[in-house]
Amino acid sequence: MVTVKINGKEVQVPKNTLILEAAKEAGVSIPTLCHDSRLNPFGACRVCLVEQVGNPKLQAACTTPVTDGMEIITQSDKLSRVRKTAIELLLINHPLDCPVCDKGGECTLQDLTYEVGVTKVRFDAKPNDTPVDHTNPFIERDIDRCVLCGRCVRICDEVVNIQAISFLNRGTDTIIGTSFEQPWNCEYCGQCISVCPVGSLNNRIYLFKNRPWNLDRVQSVCGLCSCGCTVDIDYEGSEVFRIKENPEEGINHGYMCAKGRFGFEFINSIQRETAAQVKAGGEAKKVSFDEAVTVAVEKLKKVKETAGADSVAVVVSPRLTNEEAFLAAKLAKDVIGTQNIFSTETSEILPGATLEEVEQSDCVAVLNIDVTEANPILGLAVRHAARMGEAPLAVFYPSFTALKRVAKKFVTGTPDAVREAMVKYADAVAGASNEYSELAGKLTSAERPVVVFDPYNKADAALAQKISKACAKVKLVPAKSKNNSVGIVDMGCGAKCPTEFSKGLEAGKFKAVLVFGENVSARSVWTKAASKLSGLELLLVTDPFMSETAAQANVYIPVATFAEKDGSFTNLEGRVQTIAKAVDKGVNTDACVASAIAKGMGSALPADVTAVRSMIEKEVALYSGIDWNGGTVSYPYVFAGDIAAEDGMAKGKGKFFLYTASLRLHSGSFTRWSPDLAKVYGSPVLEIGEEDAKELGLANGDKVKVSGEGFSGEYPVEIDKKVTKGCVALPEDFTATAGIFCNGKCVKADIVK
Amino acid sequence: MMKNIFETIFFTEILQGLGITLKHMFMKPVTYKYPFEATPIQDRFRGVQYIKTTADGRTKCVGCYLCQKVCPSECIHIETDCGPNGERLIRKYELDLSRCIYCGYCEEVCPVDAIHMGWEWNTVAPTRDNYVINMKTLSQNYKDNVEGNWKNKHLKKKLVEGVQQ
Repeated sequence: MVTVKINGKEVQVPKNTLILEAAKEAGVSIPTLCHDSRLNPFGACRVCLVEQVGNPKLQAACTTPVTDGMEIITQSDKLSRVRKTAIELLLINHPLDCPVCDKGGECTLQDLTYEVGVTKVRFDAKPNDTPVDHTNPFIERDIDRCVLCGRCVRICDEVVNIQAISFLNRGTDTIIGTSFEQPWNCEYCGQCISVCPVGSLNNRIYLFKNRPWNLDRVQSVCGLCSCGCTVDIDYEGSEVFRIKENPEEGINHGYMCAKGRFGFEFINSIQRETAAQVKAGGEAKKVSFDEAVTVAVEKLKKVKETAGADSVAVVVSPRLTNEEAFLAAKLAKDVIGTQNIFSTETSEILPGATLEEVEQSDCVAVLNIDVTEANPILGLAVRHAARMGEAPLAVFYPSFTALKRVAKKFVTGTPDAVREAMVKYADAVAGASNEYSELAGKLTSAERPVVVFDPYNKADAALAQKISKACAKVKLVPAKSKNNSVGIVDMGCGAKCPTEFSKGLEAGKFKAVLVFGENVSARSVWTKAASKLSGLELLLVTDPFMSETAAQANVYIPVATFAEKDGSFTNLEGRVQTIAKAVDKGVNTDACVASAIAKGMGSALPADVTAVRSMIEKEVALYSGIDWNGGTVSYPYVFAGDIAAEDGMAKGKGKFFLYTASLRLHSGSFTRWSPDLAKVYGSPVLEIGEEDAKELGLANGDKVKVSGEGFSGEYPVEIDKKVTKGCVALPEDFTATAGIFCNGKCVKADIVK
Repeated sequence: MMKNIFETIFFTEILQGLGITLKHMFMKPVTYKYPFEATPIQDRFRGVQYIKTTADGRTKCVGCYLCQKVCPSECIHIETDCGPNGERLIRKYELDLSRCIYCGYCEEVCPVDAIHMGWEWNTVAPTRDNYVINMKTLSQNYKDNVEGNWKNKHLKKKLVEGVQQ
């Protein structure tokens, strides 16, 4: 610890603390522009200059570490003159188009200009008039407004590690750009927008839609993938205008992905249903919420009387909040009296590590999952460990992913070859001697090793289990897919195997099915049996949109999305986080539906969040006394039992290996309704390697027929040089592709032009 | 006492009053015969707003929301969006005259010199329907103000005179 004096106030701080942080400790604020506490010190803007007693030169507070006995002055006539000049110099080339700039009102440069009191720039202003760049679908780039603070360049390099942009040219010609002025080749995560202090990088989804002072803000949790990022929802009236990062709060340090940042538009979608529908004699009729519930209850009572409670099934979506999932389970068990509660999730695999543990890990292995696409923030944590912490990273995946830049060893090949490599790696961890022994040795000798795997692929899970058995200190991260994949299992919706539902449907066991938010037709485990849904006595579907399953329903009730309800989600770490209601679109929540049906059946279930939470704390042992605002559930196990060993090899016959591509910028269900995400990736595309495409004579956009055992379909082609020869990839979560992967994550297929 | 008696007998005060009346009969009148005649409008008078247009007829307004923010009676409502070429597009600009208190803050805050307080004051109408005016009307108001094309034709002359003072 060293003692420093800041503006006469003595503080004790650890050695190597920056002056800026020491000042913060002393309660003194120093203006900054290019500084970001998440990034390495840079010192580009010179706004944070401070005086050190005994030193004639001014020091940049954001780059200078303190020394013992240092005396710092942050306010003096000299400093205010210097700061004013620094801002004036920044304003030379900065166009004063604040009225039309989207950043106006929340611009750091604007704030600083007011703070230091610049009313007139003494230098000849020479703003450029370069055309605004609209080549990126999500990011508007106006290089004239740029003040070259380098925050975007640094966050793209240090955090995202994509290095899409950099400084070009030198001196006064310096601009931020891409090599050879090419369009941005990036993940569209928008981290650069979040750090831009001026209006140089703008969110095109929010562009010119509103002004920051008109927006109300509520802190919530993103409802797309299972990372559980803390976000700010900015809304006015009943419309969500943008979803913004919050660097101060949450486990994501203010990082977000393209889905979370740009994919919120489904909330405002005009395609959303507002009225409940009841189908009678094949014709859908719009009815009120109460009428729809009455019809559903009548049918439910009839089925229960004639065929027994066991012929009723409840399907719960991992999109639901913990409270809603609890109510749905309670409705099934206590009110209807059936144990048939299904979801795509099972209680076989539970969370094993936190994101912080991944970040702090000293050896990471990623087994057969494109984690940067499936769970982008988990991907950032893996990158952080591999790059900042320099943990050796081993990745196994059929094609190169964004992790290639930081991976020590990246094993690619056909899915079968990757599978064999992973088996060998797991064997090597267990003690066998083969070509992966050295790599495995790093994992076993590390202090805080982490293994990330796909819990939906049983063969991968079995390997992860084998590794954890051989090396007990390994922390396991099952990369769950949806926002509450973990929570609904805790609420008792994951006790049964998903395949039981499709078997029951095909056998005609179920007469009434209540589907809470799930799109059964688009889930690969159920898609084959989904056609049986339309013949049921009662099919109640609640969904914000008229999904493929909702179209078959005889009672359909539109419900709220995550921005329109209160509740909580449990993320892939097992962290319970509260979500808050931002807007009201005039639709009910799933909790209201469950409560209304229970009331119709003659029992009472509360729909109120506080009441449901106290019930959960009483009835769910894991959640007794839980902190609903960021508390972590302590799970008894990661694997419930031995995962049934599957060989995981590609099934069927055909020339090509067909495996599941991670949905680019999608999480499958909700984001399909966001028009701007759909612009980038709207319908399933077959990814094929360059060599194979040449052999088959294919060009981008050509339609090909894909056929294999039990499936066939036609898809447009996208040539991707990263895809291994002999392999093709298709996304899983579209109705058109769900049928392919019902037998496994990798199959063999033939391709005909 | 004597003076009071003298005044009472000879009605001197009444004569004094009549004298003033007589004097004013030959003076220039200070009142105006509204509605047959209009009061002159001063240059700094604040009437119904207009929004300036450029030479090619496009509005000068950029949709920065500052007038909406500064308006104390919340009578301005703006909606903007991104245009097809990535420009700032004003979807809606509405001004509710029945709420406006003619304080002139909108004129003062406008960074691009678009909205101004005009000289037209006659907003009387039998219904409330036309009190919400949009960008089209506001741009037309600019033209009317420049051309002196006032709502009440018979008052035109005096108004123009007032403005030109």
